[in-house]
Amino acid sequence: MRPFDYYRPEVFEEAFRWLLLPEKKVLPLAGATDLIPMVRDGLWQPDVVVDIKGLPGMGDLVVTEEGLRVGAAVRMTELVHHPLVNSTPWNLLAQAAAAMGNEQIRNRATLGGNLCTASPAADSAPALLTLEAQALIRGPEGERRVPIASFFVGPRKTVLQKGELLVGVLIPALPEGTAGTYVKLSRRKAGDLAIVGVAALASPRNGGYEWRLALGAVAPTPIRAPEAEAALNAGHDAAAIERAMHCAFDACCPIDDVRASAAYRRAMVGRITQRAIEGVLERLS
Amino acid sequence: MLHEITLNINGEPYPVVVKSHYTLARVLREQLGLTGTKIGCENGECGACTVLLDGAPVNSCLVLAVEAEGHEIETVESLSRGGDLHPLQKAFIEHNAIQCGFCTPGMLMSSKALLARNPHPTEEEVREALVGNLCRCTGYVRIVDAVLDVGSPVLEAES
Ligand SMILES: Cc1cc2nc3c(=O)[nH]c(=O)nc-3n(C[C@H](O)[C@H](O)[C@H](O)COP(=O)(O)OP(=O)(O)OC[C@H]3O[C@@H](n4cnc5c(N)ncnc54)[C@H](O)[C@@H]3O)c2cc1C
Ligand code: FES
Ligand code: FES
Repeated sequence: MRPFDYYRPEVFEEAFRWLLLPEKKVLPLAGATDLIPMVRDGLWQPDVVVDIKGLPGMGDLVVTEEGLRVGAAVRMTELVHHPLVNSTPWNLLAQAAAAMGNEQIRNRATLGGNLCTASPAADSAPALLTLEAQALIRGPEGERRVPIASFFVGPRKTVLQKGELLVGVLIPALPEGTAGTYVKLSRRKAGDLAIVGVAALASPRNGGYEWRLALGAVAPTPIRAPEAEAALNAGHDAAAIERAMHCAFDACCPIDDVRASAAYRRAMVGRITQRAIEGVLERLS
Repeated sequence: MLHEITLNINGEPYPVVVKSHYTLARVLREQLGLTGTKIGCENGECGACTVLLDGAPVNSCLVLAVEAEGHEIETVESLSRGGDLHPLQKAFIEHNAIQCGFCTPGMLMSSKALLARNPHPTEEEVREALVGNLCRCTGYVRIVDAVLDVGSPVLEAES
């Protein structure tokens, strides 16, 4: 592996100093489950890595007036087991975290790392899209918030500017009675990236339900599927589910890769959407 | 860049000087001579390098040695202290759960962590806990049986 230097700052000012070192390629380091393989394969060539796990607030998992605040360095295992996540209307995030990789990976991988790698197949992304989370970003100039839907700008690209860190996400409160499901299709039952990942969420509203759907691994970034949502908002009978499946199919523009062909992904996206919707309906009943 | 650190391994302090980019797997094997931990893919896929970090299984090929400072590291060498084999090791032998043995240290460490958090796992739970440990030889059945045996409430009641 190509050598790099390692720093572990305890305050943001110091972190920004390292992140903005002139003429150096500097990368933040969290769980390193993406970073080390990428460096080993020569795809990323950092001169310096800055371990962000010890920065204040990075490990937070707290409920505030605005909702659930999850620090960027919170690990997948914690999301799976934490009662604030797995036994609340936010449990869709616990389901997504549980679908990731394997035990060893979940014990290291952080939520922030999953989002910042910005793989179109990132398992936490469809969940956070339907939960309408905000990305909390901090840079030398201060803080800003970006809706998750605008955080990803392309495969492996986010809105983060040089020197900026994702410090966490904020997930708004949801009404009691909200139910969500994440369904992931992959080559193995567990342990591999998604071929298609679908998150579905329904919240009680005006005697009916407001639906949200998001698709992973079938477009350059994880996406919401607003037409499919609209199809369900009017009532989720079999015909509406059928329409939602078609809308999901129309919303996606997948690619061929080692995991599956674009044609297979397209063929599967409707069916996985259907399973996610049915999963929600089971939870609602 | 060099880091002078002390790693806490199997309850003992190991002072060591490591380079920033050295992984824990490499330092365990090459600098500390703890070669029970194996390196297979070096990519987080195979689990041969599994060790426990504060009790949780991790791939030591995906942890920088410098990151492990201040944490409790357990390797397969910790299992048979004083010549007595760990119940898991005995069960692996009894069930012929070992062929080439390359995956075994990782399998043992993942299984140990599973039984610590869930003393009586179901077959499904054992298989789920071992998703990150690949074995090219055994076909897994005997490994799963060995772990189930150690986790069996009946066995515990008898002993
Ligand atoms: C065997 C294996 C299986 C996997 N399976 C899955 C899977 O099923 N689903 C899935 O989605 N992913 C999977 N992954 C990918 C990976 O584990 C996840 O993307 C993980 O969440 C990355 O988090 P990390 O903390 O390890 O990130 P790191 O590797 O530490 O960082 C990833 C990237 O994000 C940047 N970064 C990290 N934190 C911040 C921050 N706070 N601010 C700004 N930039 C930051 C880093 O500089 C780096 O570019 C798998 C990986 C492996 C090796
Ligand atoms: S060597 Fe670490 S997972 Fe394969
Ligand atoms: S016994 Fe050979 S890899 Fe498992």
